[in-house]
Amino acid sequence: MGAADSDADADADTDDAGSANIDDGSAGDPLLAVDGVVKTFGGLVAVDGATFGVERESITGLIGPNGAGKSTLFDCITGVHAPDSGTIRLDGAEIQGRSPTAVARRGVGRTFQTPKTFRGMTVRQNLAFAARDQVGERAFNSMFRPNTVSAEEADIQERVDEILEFLELDHLAEEYGSALSGGQRKLLELGRVILMDPDIILLDEPIAGVNPSLTDDLLDRLEELNDRGRTILFIEHDIDVVMQHCDHVVVMHNGETLASGPPQIVQEDDRVVEAYLGGYDA
Amino acid sequence: MALLTGWAAFLVGFATIAAIYGLLTVGLNVHYGYTGLLNFGHVAFFAAGAYAAAIVTMPPPSTVTNASYVVWFNLPMPWGFPVSLAAAALAGGVLALLIGLTSVRLGTHYLAIATFALAGVFSDILVNEAWLTNGSFGMNSVPKPGRAVLGADVWQLVYLIFALVSLAAVYLLVERVMNAPFGRLLKGIRESEAAAEMLGKNPTVVKLKSFVIGGMITGFAGGIYAHYFGSVVTAQFLPGVTFTVYAAMLLGGAASNTGAVVGAFTVVAFRESTRFITTAYNWFQATLPEPVTGILPAVFGPLPNNPSFIPSMRLVVVGLLFVLVIRYRPEGLLGNPSEVDALGDEGGGD
Amino acid sequence: MSFHDILQVIVFGLIEGSVIAVGAVGLTLSYGVTRFINFAYGEFLTYGAYLTLFLAGGLFGLSMPLPAAAVVAIAIVGGLGVAVSRTFFEPIADRGALPLLITSIGVSFILRNLLQGWVGVDARQLPTPLLRRQEYLGLVQLTDLELGIVVAGVMTMVAIHLLLQHTMLGKRMRATSGNRSLAEVAGIDTTSVVRQTWFVSGAAGALSGVLYAVLFSPFRPGVGFEYLIVIFAATLLGGIGRPYGAMLGAFAIGLAMNFGSTYLSANYTRAYAFLILVAVLLVKPEGIRGGEF
Repeated sequence: MGAADSDADADADTDDAGSANIDDGSAGDPLLAVDGVVKTFGGLVAVDGATFGVERESITGLIGPNGAGKSTLFDCITGVHAPDSGTIRLDGAEIQGRSPTAVARRGVGRTFQTPKTFRGMTVRQNLAFAARDQVGERAFNSMFRPNTVSAEEADIQERVDEILEFLELDHLAEEYGSALSGGQRKLLELGRVILMDPDIILLDEPIAGVNPSLTDDLLDRLEELNDRGRTILFIEHDIDVVMQHCDHVVVMHNGETLASGPPQIVQEDDRVVEAYLGGYDA
Repeated sequence: MALLTGWAAFLVGFATIAAIYGLLTVGLNVHYGYTGLLNFGHVAFFAAGAYAAAIVTMPPPSTVTNASYVVWFNLPMPWGFPVSLAAAALAGGVLALLIGLTSVRLGTHYLAIATFALAGVFSDILVNEAWLTNGSFGMNSVPKPGRAVLGADVWQLVYLIFALVSLAAVYLLVERVMNAPFGRLLKGIRESEAAAEMLGKNPTVVKLKSFVIGGMITGFAGGIYAHYFGSVVTAQFLPGVTFTVYAAMLLGGAASNTGAVVGAFTVVAFRESTRFITTAYNWFQATLPEPVTGILPAVFGPLPNNPSFIPSMRLVVVGLLFVLVIRYRPEGLLGNPSEVDALGDEGGGD
Repeated sequence: MSFHDILQVIVFGLIEGSVIAVGAVGLTLSYGVTRFINFAYGEFLTYGAYLTLFLAGGLFGLSMPLPAAAVVAIAIVGGLGVAVSRTFFEPIADRGALPLLITSIGVSFILRNLLQGWVGVDARQLPTPLLRRQEYLGLVQLTDLELGIVVAGVMTMVAIHLLLQHTMLGKRMRATSGNRSLAEVAGIDTTSVVRQTWFVSGAAGALSGVLYAVLFSPFRPGVGFEYLIVIFAATLLGGIGRPYGAMLGAFAIGLAMNFGSTYLSANYTRAYAFLILVAVLLVKPEGIRGGEF
C-alpha cells in the first residue's frame, strides 16, 4: 500500500512514529523519540541512522536480525554509550549522552539480555534494591532516622510483595539469586525494573533463553503491564511474537530503521520482506 | 600492690589489641565485605588516625628528646581524649576521601594497585616529613589518659573496657547501617554496578561513602591504639598489618560484622600465642626426663636460629590462611556462603 | 644542572628502566594469559637475587661464577613460577579476579616470609666486583656492570620479541591472551601455554631481581615486594597485557624516578613512579567504568 511506502520514507525526516499518525490518530507526541542516531565503534558502524518513536502506553517491538544494532541502540538510549550523532528525547527532553544513572533517574528502565541478577542477595532484596529515591539509602538516615527509614521500608516491602505475586515468584522470595534458574532470573530482572517504576521499560530480548512453557506466561505479564498503563519497548527477533503482542513494530537492519508501524502494515512492507527473505522461523 | 600479674596482664593486653584489630576488621569489612572494594592500603587509614591523635596530644618538642616535629597541640587529658579520637576518625575519613576520589571509579585490579601504592607513598611521607611526624624515630610521648591517676594496672583494665565498649558501639552502629537499605545498596553495587546504574543508583558516590565510613572507623582505631601504646612509630604500620586484617576478615567471614570481630580475636590470639613458643619450648626441655631430652633439639635444631624466624613464620601462616580460606571456605567461619559465592565475580558487572 | 648532569640522569634512568622493563614484561605476560595481576610477582625478583647469591656463595657445596649462578637461579625461579601457578592459581582459575588477587597476596606472604625466616632480615649483596666509572663519548660515565645491565635488558626484550613473534609458543601465547576460549577451540592446549608463560614470567622476574641486586645492592627479603609498585606503574602505564607497552612504560618510569630523586627530593623514589601512574589512570580511563580491569 502506498501509505506503507511513504511511512518508510518518512523515517529520515520526522522524529515521530510517522506511521502511527495514519493508523491510530494519536496526538503524535511520543514518550520516547529517537532521531537519526548514529553509533560507530572504531571502523564498525553499529547504528546507522535510527529514527522512530514510542507512543505512550504502547507496546512496541524492536525487531531485526542479530547484528542489526538493536542492543547498541538500547545502550545509546540508556546512556551506556553516547551516540555519535542524533538525538534521543524522553518526554521532549534530550537524554542522549547522559550517564546511565541519570537516564534511569529520568524514568527509563532497562533489562539486559543476560540478567544481571544480584546473585549474593535474595530475590526480595534484589527487588527492594530497585525502589527509587530511598531515604534509607543514605547512611546518615540509616543511623539517625530509623523511624522514617522503617516506614519507607515497609512501603517498599509491600510493593515487593505485589510484584512477587504478579510474577508468581512469591515462593522464591527468600532464595538467593544464585539459586534461580535462567527463566526465573529473567522474571526477576523484569520485576526489578517494574518496581523501579519507570515511565518506559526497555526489555532486551525478554524471552530469549526462557523455557517455552514460561514464555507465554511472561508475554501475558507484559501485556498485563501494558494494560495497566506502562509503556514498553522490547527487542525481539521472533517475528510471530512481535506480531501477536505489539501495537507497534520497528524494524532494524544493518543499523538502520527500515520501517515503523503497526504489525500488519510492517509485515507487508517491501523492504522488510526483502530483508527477511524467507521469513523467520523461531 | 600489683593488680594484674602474669597471665592476667597478658590477657588484658591481648584483649585490648584484639579489640583494636576488631575495629580495623570491621572497617575493612565495610570496604570489602559489603562493597566489594579491594582496598590493599588499609594500614594507611590506621596510621593516619594514630598520627592525628599523636599530633593533637603530644607535648611541645622542647620537652621531648629527639624531637624534630614542629606541629603539636598538646591538648590536655582528659578532655583532650575525645577530641583526639575525633581527630583520628576524621583523619582516617579524609585520607579515605582523598584516596577514594582517585580510585573508586577504577576496576578491581586498578583499585587494588592504587590503594596498595598510595599506602606505600603515604608511608614514605610519614617517614620523610619529620616536621610533622618526627620521622622514623616516632612520636613517643602520646599521653595515656588517666594513667597517672589510676595507676598502671587499673589503667590497663579501664582502657581495655573502654576499647571493648568502643568496639561494641561501632559494631552496633555498623550493624544497624548495614541492615538498613544502605547496606543493601552497598551489596547491590558489589554484585553488579551495571545493574545498579540501570536502576538509578550512582555507584561512584556510594563507593566513596563506603570508603569514607570504613576509613573513619579505621582512623578511630588508630586513635585508640596511639593512646594505648603511648607511641606512634612508622615501623608499626607496615603492609603486614593490612594483610593481617584481611586474614581476620576472611577467616571470620566477609560481610559479617560478627565474623570480623571473631576473626580479629582469633588472629590476634594466634599471633600473641606464638610469642610463647620459645618459652614453651624451654619449659618442655627443662621438664622432660633425662633419656628424652635429646628429642626436641634433634627435631627443631635444624631450624634457623635468627630472631625473625618466628615472626616470619607467623606471616607464612597468614599467607596460608588467605590461600586456604579462599579456596576451601570462602565464606569463612561466620559468613553466608550464598553471599560469598558471588564475591568471586567481577564487581563491575558484565 | 648542566647538560652533562642531565644526560647522566637520563642514563641512570635508562639503566634502572632496563631493570624495570624486564620485570614489567614478565608481569604483563602472565596477566595476558591469566587475566589477573600477580601480587606475588615481586617474590620472583627476590628469589632470583637470593638464589644467585647462594649459588655463587657456596650453598649446597656449589660455588659458581656469578653469571652462571644467575642463569641457574633464573631457571629455578622459572620453575618456581610454574609450581606456584599449578599449586595456587590453577585450581581457582575460574573464580574471577578477587579470589585470585587475594590468593596471590597470600602466596607473596608465604614465599617472602619463608625466605625471611630462613635468612633473616640482614642486608646481603651479590659478589660483584667493584668497578670504576668509565667515560663514554665524553658525555656520560658508566661502570661496566651498569652497561651490562642495559645490555641484558635490551637482549631480554629482543628475546621476548622473538619469542612472541617468531615461535609457535609465542603465537599460542598471543592467541591465548587474546581470547582463551577461542584459542581452546582452535586446538591450542591453553593449560600448557599458561604454564610455559608462567615459566617465562618467573624467569623474567628473577632476572629483574638479579639486575636490581647488581644495581642497588644491598638487598633484603622484602626487596621484590617493595619494588612491586614500580613494576605495576610501568606495566599499567604501558597498558596491561601489552609487552611492548610495558617496555616503554618501564623506561618512562625509570626516567621519572631518577629525575624526581635528583631534582625534587631523594627521599621519595617510588612515589614518582606512582604519581605518574595515578595521573595516567585519571586522564586515560582504561579500566574506569565499564572496563574489566
